[in-house]
Amino acid sequence: MKIPLILDIRGNSLDDGPGIRTVVFFKGCPLSCSWCHNPESKKTTAELSFDESECAGCDACIGMCEKKALSRKIIGFVDRKKCSLCFRCTEVCPSGALSRMGREVPVEEIMATIFRDMPFYRNSGGGVTLSGGEPTLFMDFASQILQQCKKKKIHTLIETCGHFEWGQFEKKILPWIDMVYYDIKIMDSALHKRYCGLSNEKILNNFENLAALSLKRKINLLARTPLVPDITDTPENLQAIARYLSALGISSASLLPYNPMWKKKIMKFGINDEINAPDNESWMETIHIDKCKSIFAQYGISV
Amino acid sequence: MLLNVMFGKSSVSALTSLMIQSFLRYFAANMNMRSSLNRYLKHKDGWFNFSIGLKTEDSSVACGIDFKDGHVLVLRTLPADARAIAVFRNDAAARRLLTGNSTDQIFMMLKSDMRIEGSPMYLNLFSFFLSLVFKSVQIGGMKKERKKNEKEAQKIAPKINKVPDAIARRNHKSLACDRIDPGVRYLDEPYLSEYSIEDFPRLQKFLHDHLNEKPEICPELAYLLTQWHREHGFETDAKGNKWVPVLRKARAYTYVMENKKPIIAEDCLIAGTTTSKKIGCPVYPDGSGGLIWNELLTISQRSHNPFNISEDTRDILHFDVFPYWMHRNFREYVRNKYHNPLSQILDERYALYFNWKQATISHTIPDFPKILKVGTCGIIKEIKNELRTKCNEEKKATLHAMILCLRGLEVYAEHLSRQALHDAGRTSDSVRKQELVHLSRVCARVPKYGARTLDEAVNSVWITWVALHMESMNAGLSLGRLDQWLQPYFIADVKKIKSKEDKETYIKHAIELIGHFFMRCTDHFPLTPDLANFYFGGSSSDQAITLGGVTPEGNDAVCDMTYIFLKVTEMLSIRDPNVNARYMPGVNSDAYLRRLCEVNLVTAATPSMHNDAAMIQSLSKLKYDIRDIRNWAATGCVEPTLCGKHFGHTNMQMMNMVAALEMALNNGYHPVTRLAIGPKTGYPSKGHFKDFESFFNAFTRQFAYLIDTSIEYNNLLAEAHQYLRPTPLLSALIDGGIKKGLDVTKGGAKYNSSGTAIIGLADVTDSMMVIKKLVFEEKKFTFPELIAALQTNFEKNPEILAMARKRVPLFGSGSDEAVALANRIAKWAHEYYAKMPHYRGGKYTTGFWSMSNHVAFGTLTGALPSGRQAGKPFTPGLTPQPFASKSLLDNIRDVARLKPENMNNNIAFNVKVVPSAHQTREKTVEEMFSYVKTYFELGGMQMQMNVVTSDMLRDAMAHPENYRNLIVRISGYNAYFVTLNRDMQLELIERAEYGI
Repeated sequence: MKIPLILDIRGNSLDDGPGIRTVVFFKGCPLSCSWCHNPESKKTTAELSFDESECAGCDACIGMCEKKALSRKIIGFVDRKKCSLCFRCTEVCPSGALSRMGREVPVEEIMATIFRDMPFYRNSGGGVTLSGGEPTLFMDFASQILQQCKKKKIHTLIETCGHFEWGQFEKKILPWIDMVYYDIKIMDSALHKRYCGLSNEKILNNFENLAALSLKRKINLLARTPLVPDITDTPENLQAIARYLSALGISSASLLPYNPMWKKKIMKFGINDEINAPDNESWMETIHIDKCKSIFAQYGISV
Repeated sequence: MLLNVMFGKSSVSALTSLMIQSFLRYFAANMNMRSSLNRYLKHKDGWFNFSIGLKTEDSSVACGIDFKDGHVLVLRTLPADARAIAVFRNDAAARRLLTGNSTDQIFMMLKSDMRIEGSPMYLNLFSFFLSLVFKSVQIGGMKKERKKNEKEAQKIAPKINKVPDAIARRNHKSLACDRIDPGVRYLDEPYLSEYSIEDFPRLQKFLHDHLNEKPEICPELAYLLTQWHREHGFETDAKGNKWVPVLRKARAYTYVMENKKPIIAEDCLIAGTTTSKKIGCPVYPDGSGGLIWNELLTISQRSHNPFNISEDTRDILHFDVFPYWMHRNFREYVRNKYHNPLSQILDERYALYFNWKQATISHTIPDFPKILKVGTCGIIKEIKNELRTKCNEEKKATLHAMILCLRGLEVYAEHLSRQALHDAGRTSDSVRKQELVHLSRVCARVPKYGARTLDEAVNSVWITWVALHMESMNAGLSLGRLDQWLQPYFIADVKKIKSKEDKETYIKHAIELIGHFFMRCTDHFPLTPDLANFYFGGSSSDQAITLGGVTPEGNDAVCDMTYIFLKVTEMLSIRDPNVNARYMPGVNSDAYLRRLCEVNLVTAATPSMHNDAAMIQSLSKLKYDIRDIRNWAATGCVEPTLCGKHFGHTNMQMMNMVAALEMALNNGYHPVTRLAIGPKTGYPSKGHFKDFESFFNAFTRQFAYLIDTSIEYNNLLAEAHQYLRPTPLLSALIDGGIKKGLDVTKGGAKYNSSGTAIIGLADVTDSMMVIKKLVFEEKKFTFPELIAALQTNFEKNPEILAMARKRVPLFGSGSDEAVALANRIAKWAHEYYAKMPHYRGGKYTTGFWSMSNHVAFGTLTGALPSGRQAGKPFTPGLTPQPFASKSLLDNIRDVARLKPENMNNNIAFNVKVVPSAHQTREKTVEEMFSYVKTYFELGGMQMQMNVVTSDMLRDAMAHPENYRNLIVRISGYNAYFVTLNRDMQLELIERAEYGI
């Protein structure tokens, strides 16, 4: 079984499905969307993060780094070429400004955290959400969590980019999942490849399979489109998505307003710029969001 | 400092001496020569003759001033018989007295830059004389300070100014609900969503006045009391015989009630007012009244909670009232009789504990159902029967005193009845005329006889309420389970109604009547000295009303009146009455809990919600009758009183537990007060502690010292109450008083206890966790290194600060270890208090809430091992620190895991939630409901939610005029945000907020 690195297990999420939810963030994603607002979840391997705002300035880490990879003179503090990812600096860092992104967490430990939050699920109609990154990169592992949740009758939801093997998904995930949040980002395959790293045929195929199941009420499916300035929020793209959903008989979807915080986030692990990335650094205006919504509405899709 | 360099230390002191003496001479010359000022030196019984000393700690400055037979004389040396000496920490502090504004001077006291030896009363009088001369300078200083604060507030205001809409928006689209609760019999839609404040123009007007009018000091009560005592004596009667205190009190009380002006407030459906002013501050001269002596000229100009005062009132208080009561108040009684004991001195240093008995006992709930049922008549009959049994002298006197007081209450009601008729004759409005005639009939009936209708019942409660406030102070006396007690009268009324229209009209009337009752409760305000604005900022009388929960038999108590009270709470959204709601998991409906959340959302801060199961569990150890326990209600802030049977002075004291920790860190020395008072438990800075247990032990020994000392003072003050202010009326209205024939101040009630509010549980627990983990277990640094870091406020050791905040599982982070430690500390405190002997019998109970003292005490506390920096507030109540966890669920779970049995005076757990702007009301309510319900299912006792954003609060600081009605929960009570002092406003802003 492939063992994923886990970024975080976050309780009290109100945005990742119905009710109060616990979200398990997997590390690693087959896509590499330029605007990804969880950029720490792109790689499957562990990374070193440095958060300048947390740094107490004690310099305890600088002297102990054998590779001499840490210096106040370097922008971002860590010389990524020298760093061997031994993570010893994260142990001496008093404030947690230096931290390890991604660690192996046994299923039992994940379940223990989930069980602690369980009392909140019942009164709120909440449950567990697998997110990331891309949980379907680790189907067996994800499957174990989902199965254990179902034993306790916990509502389960998976957030996916849709790039997975259908057969595996059908066997390992589908039987134990109540709801799927499914990203439909860009309809044009070439553009998809350009901004997300891979083309979208597989994603759309998988979506169609799920849509068929959802029409039979076998699964609760929500298509979601992140609104990224000039990339996904163009009228052409939104119209194409809406037309596609409508053709599949889907009548409601979700639009996620652009989150510009990713720019600050990527700095923490030494990336200064993303190719093809939007250069917009502000939150979207309500007026613009409403305009996007109205495009969907024209195709009979409520947002 | 600069002066020291220029002139050398001794010549600086000489300079300071010179400055102070010239200042005093200027003052004395004015007082002696200007007849307009000189007249203040004489009071009704003679001259103010006393002297005051001024000195620095090292006596480098020492002088004084003498007031004798109308002449003021400056002394070059410290007067030997000074009534009070102001002791300054150093020269600079002495000079600041001359240059600083009143807030500076308060902080000088709080921070022990100045302390008073002897009687603060005399220093207050001296300060009043000073203000006669320097009034315009002082008021100028206040204005300047206000301007400066306004300017600073503008700076932190958020850039986007769309915030006021956020409150207005909440008032749209009320939720509705079918009738579900078995006790709701007549409301078809219990949420009463069709009604809004616009349907009640009179309430709108009352509300407008309440938010816009400044309270005025009312001397009526103090004047009448003084008048009676001047004629009939205090210590001895006119014939020279010693007064029996309870009888003296009863006679004086009767005189007050016979002569109190009967007022029917304009347009009001309820008769009677607590004071003779529209919104008045009654003066209680036997309690803390005299504390405003120094402010008589400036109180209308101060920044926080200014009060109007007329010239007449000022003269009555200065010439007549205060001089008479100068030694006849609780503090001075103890000071004179017990020679200013250390326990009193420590209290008056403001940083360790604050004992409420110096002002009042009050915090209790009278037996309203009894007076509603049988009236004063029935109670007098019961007392007369008791008098026929074998009674000792005290019992006889007490029972007679009760009868006198009840008669006084009857007389007042008669006067009201007459006044109503008189007013009816003078009004041209025919509807109002009818109302007044009706009111006249109501007051002729109640509270003398049992009530028959809701109108009578509500008037009976209010008139009795007024009467109780003529006996003891308007602080914390609480109203109990009014929904339960008024429901029978509501039912009796509705049953008589035939048509649907009439029923609807009646329900609207019932809502309006309760609205009028709420607004009546705002007709008075406690007379707070400016210092109290820093301790109890924005706190009103805290007249708690408690709704819902279970009946004494354990059944669902939610009824029609519960929802009517909730509707009124929602529409008015005022700070006081302080509305508390009980919820019994498994018994009360989800619909009811959802409604509580909706009202909390709309009002932003009220009601405070309580878990009946946890409260009942926590009280069960006290061997009370379970039926009485189930009849508990919140008192003042959150504390439980068993209604009508329990004298539980539930806010006996505010105890700064963090002071004990600081003393343990310094071998018994307390840094801000610079007092080496505690036991010598060893110096952490010298490596005296080998393990965590020995340090924990040092902490408990220091804490024990503070508890012992504070309780000693409590007992002395209790004795002062028994002598100066027995409360026979209250004693007649609390079960046990009549049977025992004993005043409740002496133990007359069926149940007795005293409750503490222990402040700093989260701060102490986290500090202990840091010491345990980082010093002793992981050895990241040594204890001496930690102490050194604390002394520099972590400035030189940012890594220690970072580790404390980030590397230790704190309380509220979901750590079993931290929760266990918090439980251990609470258990220790609970057991220690519980085994202290109690002067009325019964137990000391322990609570973990803080009013606003977490801010005041925080100001006076250095850096803590927990990573809390010097001068910052502690957390409110027992709320976890904001950086304990990012997840609200961790906070909720950890607080719920605290054991109720150790917290039998309740807790205050603050949660600040921010609803998303785009979310429907239904969904927001649903989320609040999920948190509260789960918290209660997990065993949590109490929760109070502030539904505000930090931006909104910042905007309110900058534009108070837009936010007069914005209420916030401090810790247990509600306040208008704009009336809070700056530190408290910032504390609320800095609280962790969780988006929903």
